[in-house]
Amino acid sequence: MSNVLAYLDPGSGSMILQIIAGGVAAVAVTAKLYWGRLMKFLRIRKDEPEAAKAEPARGSD
Amino acid sequence: MSSHAQTPASQDLEPGSFRDPESRVFYAGDEVYRALSPDGLSDFEALRESGLLDDERVVRTELAEDAAALRGLLVHEPAAVLRHERIPFVSYPYEWTFSMLKDAALLQLDLLLAALDEELVLKDSTPYNVQFRGARPVFVDVGSFERIREGEPWVGYRQFCMLYLYPLLLQSLKGVPFQPWLRGSIDGIRPAEMRGLLSFRDRFRRGVFTNVFLHARLEARYADRPEQTKQEVKRVFKKELFVANVRKMRKVVDRLSWDPPEGVWTAYGERNTYTDEDARRKDEFVREVARSRDWTLVWDIGCNNGRYSRIAAEGARTVVAVDADPGPVELLYRDLRSEGGERILPLTMNLADPSPGLGWRGLERRALPDRGSPDLVLALALVHHVAISANVPVKEFVDWLASLGAAIVIEFPTREDPMVKKLLAPKREGLHPDYELDFFERTLNDAFEVERSERLESGTRVLYFARPKRG
Repeated sequence: MSNVLAYLDPGSGSMILQIIAGGVAAVAVTAKLYWGRLMKFLRIRKDEPEAAKAEPARGSD
Repeated sequence: MSSHAQTPASQDLEPGSFRDPESRVFYAGDEVYRALSPDGLSDFEALRESGLLDDERVVRTELAEDAAALRGLLVHEPAAVLRHERIPFVSYPYEWTFSMLKDAALLQLDLLLAALDEELVLKDSTPYNVQFRGARPVFVDVGSFERIREGEPWVGYRQFCMLYLYPLLLQSLKGVPFQPWLRGSIDGIRPAEMRGLLSFRDRFRRGVFTNVFLHARLEARYADRPEQTKQEVKRVFKKELFVANVRKMRKVVDRLSWDPPEGVWTAYGERNTYTDEDARRKDEFVREVARSRDWTLVWDIGCNNGRYSRIAAEGARTVVAVDADPGPVELLYRDLRSEGGERILPLTMNLADPSPGLGWRGLERRALPDRGSPDLVLALALVHHVAISANVPVKEFVDWLASLGAAIVIEFPTREDPMVKKLLAPKREGLHPDYELDFFERTLNDAFEVERSERLESGTRVLYFARPKRG
């Protein structure tokens, strides 16, 4: 039995929505990425500093 | 439905686990098992390889080698059986506070994102797949993980909206408690219903226009062409879209907030209406009982800020702290969460109207007393609320306590108590004649052996420790 159907009905409208919303989000993410690169290129924004090193582990009791 | 309902094993099947044909939960002795179909097993193998099974947010699970004969549990013959860690007390989203539902939602989304990294997905998004171990949410439906298929959209998106996002929005935007809505419908709030609950202004709030208004409109529009839509979606859908949608949803959920009203914060901080000496002696009374033996499950009913739940937890494995007012329970949850506590499970429920059995045959979600009997019940500063505010006769209340079969610590505030006076004030003169110390004590003695009692300093409150009479 080839069961490729999810047991849950995803809803037709809900699937279409994901394409619309996801598409918008994908465009936004891409735009943000290029915006960041542009800012760096123009030296308006510096490279992000490395994450502060984790505090040394404190002695446990 | 008919044939396997007759198998002997069916008595131990979890009645809430039948929707997914690839895995079914059942109990044997003290253990929780999950029978997997061949498809379910192959998804499980993929999950195990991904390392996500060892994630502490996922219920501890192992393959059970001693799988008994389990014919007829599934559509397919079970291919394997898993054994799960047992969650001490099962609770449901309509008993959680805002932050609990929100944390469960974030857990769901974070696990989905982690799964997507491993080419897996969660096939559904129901809060019933999350349980709380104290104040820590745990994902319990290992059977929900499966391998992602080409062109597959987020199948659980709609369910996520109906059972997580909309209830949270309702409380966050409208100040309407979501619990009655979730208790009223096992599938949650539909997009069109949610749209009806929001105003024009609300559509400018983050995530609302897309997930509610647009969602409702598209649902109506595409309702009659599911097959065609599915094919088209499959053609264009990419995993990047999936990930983008989940990330976006996470942002929307993460920004939602709700705070109990001002008065609750004040009352939560300062403890109560009686004197310090009374408070100290009451603490001592409860502490002595709590430490007198190793209690397995304590219910603290009318827990308020959880002061006595905490004392009870000194001598108990699990304390379920219940209050009808979600405000203090919300604050208690936040405190317990930051403390990392796993012994106290805070829940909100009105004991005069406790959670019933719900869903298919009224068995999918169990009624409160069917989820494990307590061996100790704390009913402190509660009986007057039940008797006077909820109009439950005193004897009725004591009989109900006795029916639980547990030892009790109960506090009786007399008619002279300021709080009792306040509750009686708006009532007609002469109402609640059964609310008298003598009558209460007689009733208590009928059903319990009173082992200890103590009248607090101020004289208007009496504490009792009593054990149920055998017979």
